[in-house]
Amino acid sequence: MNETQQMLEDTVNRLFGDRLGWDQLTAIEEQGFPTALWAETVEQGIPKVLADEAAGGMGVGWSDAYPVLRACGRHAVPLPVVEATIAEWLARQAGATLPAGVPGLLPRAIAASAVSATTLTLSNARTPWGRNADFLVGVAAKGEGAELIIAATSGLAVAAEDNIGRDPRDSLSGDASVITRQALPLAPDCVHWLGALARSAQIAGAGAAALDLALKYGAERSQFGKPLSGFQAIQHYLADLAGVVASVDAIAMAACVGLDQRGMAPSGRNARFEIAAAKCRASEAVEKLTRLSHQVHGAIGFTYEYGLHFLTRRLWAWRAEFGGAGEWGEYLGRVAADVGGDGIWPLITA
Amino acid sequence: MTSVADKLRFEPTALPASLETLRAEVRAFLKEALADVPVVKRSHSWEAYDAEFSAKLGAKGWLGMTLPKQYGGHGRSALERYVVVEESLVAGAPTAFHWVADRQSGPLVVRYGTEEQKKAIVPAITAGKACFAIGMSEPNSGSDLASLRTRAERTATGWKVNGTKIWTSNAHRANYMIALFRTDPDPNKKHAGLSQFLIDLSKTRGITPRTIQNLAGGRNFNEVAFVDAELPPDALLGTEGQGWRQVTEELAFERSGPERYLSCFFLLRKLIDVVKDNASPATLARLGTQVAWAATLRTMSLSIAAKLNAGQDPLLEAAVVKDLGCQFEQALPGLAQELCELEPTLEGHGSEYQQVLGSLIQVAPSFSLRGGTPEILRGIIAKGMGVR
Ligand SMILES: Cc1cc2nc3c(=O)[nH]c(=O)nc-3n(C[C@H](O)[C@H](O)[C@H](O)COP(=O)(O)OP(=O)(O)OC[C@H]3O[C@@H](n4cnc5c(N)ncnc54)[C@H](O)[C@@H]3O)c2cc1C
Repeated sequence: MNETQQMLEDTVNRLFGDRLGWDQLTAIEEQGFPTALWAETVEQGIPKVLADEAAGGMGVGWSDAYPVLRACGRHAVPLPVVEATIAEWLARQAGATLPAGVPGLLPRAIAASAVSATTLTLSNARTPWGRNADFLVGVAAKGEGAELIIAATSGLAVAAEDNIGRDPRDSLSGDASVITRQALPLAPDCVHWLGALARSAQIAGAGAAALDLALKYGAERSQFGKPLSGFQAIQHYLADLAGVVASVDAIAMAACVGLDQRGMAPSGRNARFEIAAAKCRASEAVEKLTRLSHQVHGAIGFTYEYGLHFLTRRLWAWRAEFGGAGEWGEYLGRVAADVGGDGIWPLITA
Repeated sequence: MTSVADKLRFEPTALPASLETLRAEVRAFLKEALADVPVVKRSHSWEAYDAEFSAKLGAKGWLGMTLPKQYGGHGRSALERYVVVEESLVAGAPTAFHWVADRQSGPLVVRYGTEEQKKAIVPAITAGKACFAIGMSEPNSGSDLASLRTRAERTATGWKVNGTKIWTSNAHRANYMIALFRTDPDPNKKHAGLSQFLIDLSKTRGITPRTIQNLAGGRNFNEVAFVDAELPPDALLGTEGQGWRQVTEELAFERSGPERYLSCFFLLRKLIDVVKDNASPATLARLGTQVAWAATLRTMSLSIAAKLNAGQDPLLEAAVVKDLGCQFEQALPGLAQELCELEPTLEGHGSEYQQVLGSLIQVAPSFSLRGGTPEILRGIIAKGMGVR
């Protein structure tokens, strides 16, 4: 890791490590949005790592932001930090500035017909932290290109729903008044891709934390007169977990580097290949990450009191969000079919 | 507050542009050199022994690349070698003749050999004219290698060796063997009683290889009997009693390369061609999942090469990649069978694809045996995480 990455990782680990113990995560699930923690997160500049320096951001690239995204998984962060990070980057690409407050990021490309000069029309638009959002950020198709839409949330109907990680995934409907429309040099589906990348990083982080818990528990808990991790079967589960975590981490990091270096235009060899590989691998990995980390823990891991579930419930939710192994596998399968057997290695090494 | 996962970071590696030039050269060379080799032969090319081809690679400067110039090596980087190796594997070049020499024997001799040994051996390796065998496993010592019993005793004129090695790839046609023997029979010195030897097979009597046929019909590995085999005093490689440490380092070379996930790559290539025109979304998804694995393993494997290049010792990382890589390459034949209902066939029958499938299905069990089994690797990984 370079210095920026190390510094960011330390900052985020310190903040969330202190603030997001199991008791605090439990309280947040009971009480709702942790306003004070969000304020602290904003104060430390965390959601703005990818924002332009002129807009008060750090102006770094995805590879430097990667440790932040990963740490959001590691600490099961119940805040839209990742969504805000994406929104800030989009604003930077469009030369726009986001308003202050909690952003509601619209994951799906918005049809051109849903946008007018003044109004963005939403119909059951699933939005992470929609109920808490102060403004909306989305990307709409416009002619051949795309535009960034920033809109107000006032007057929208909110159908509240949590995902199985207990994070808000609300559906918004109604007419939102447009604050800014700005041409964006990206494809209209870019949020889906960036979300897939971010979720991959979060899965790497949550997987690492689940591994840490399993290691700790395996050393502490004894059966048959010795620690669980003295048993070879358990050692092999732990080794298997470690390998799977490392694989997700490796490809997600590579996708971030790829995105910085070659962008994500809809065609040509660019970071879309690594992003698709990252989310496909990450989503596929969730089965093993959750199964083995729970297995090492026995019944205690199945309780609410023990906090493994803060991680594993999010892993199950993130596996499906922004497309799972089926969707991304199909994309990659199509890429492979297009280049053919002789083209696949040159593609991987390009 | 650090995570164990922090010990296992595979930082993405960008290859310098000069290496892409090298890659293009290697690709062009291989394309021409292998144009007439049947696909099924190329699909398991690590078993294909072709001294002439190895000499050609040597003439190109693509063997012994990382070995020091003063001994006849090329003094190039581990990443340059990495590019040549991965391109050779993917193209299906016959690598059996030079593989062991280039990968592990050369570096081992450079690190532990005497001046004379280095001067005698390194130029031959670099030229692609030395085939090496690895004499580690014995009939009663596989995973528990340090329990081995083949004995080398000091004599007035050097060493006398008695015992049996087994699974020794290419021993029947190699020029040299680097073997691990017991030099101190004290039962309290299980590890400390071992030493490595560099044996010139053409000059040594009392060593008799018997080829063992594998289940696919191939004849690559051997049982090797040592009956009063006499070695000169300077056959000792490195330090007497340090054989275990040296072998552990040697195994690190053996476990870290791209061969640990690419064995079935030819099958993936052919599978793509067979299914591409009529694939259902579900088939594409399963195919794509393998592509995601391949891209992931390439990233991880290249990252290890970069660590080696920077003088680090990525033992733990190498064990992880071999373990994951093996799962990937061993799953491919079964997946291919599911995605496309074509029977595997023997060489010379059926389509090219069916022959590749037939051949790789049969050799796949060996992927999780050679170079360390997953059971042993996971033990190493667990230890690396502080579990044992
Ligand atoms: C194609 C091929 C080429 C080879 N080439 C060479 C060569 O050139 N030179 C050479 O020296 N060797 C060579 N080998 C041998 C290879 O290194 C051994 O097969 C390997 O070390 C395993 O030893 P084994 O076969 O005796 O199995 P065993 O050690 O008997 O193991 C059998 C099974 O038990 C498991 N097991 C063993 N111990 C443990 C444990 N402590 N915990 C859990 N499970 C355990 C193993 O993982 C394995 O699954 C080759 C093997 C193959 C297949």
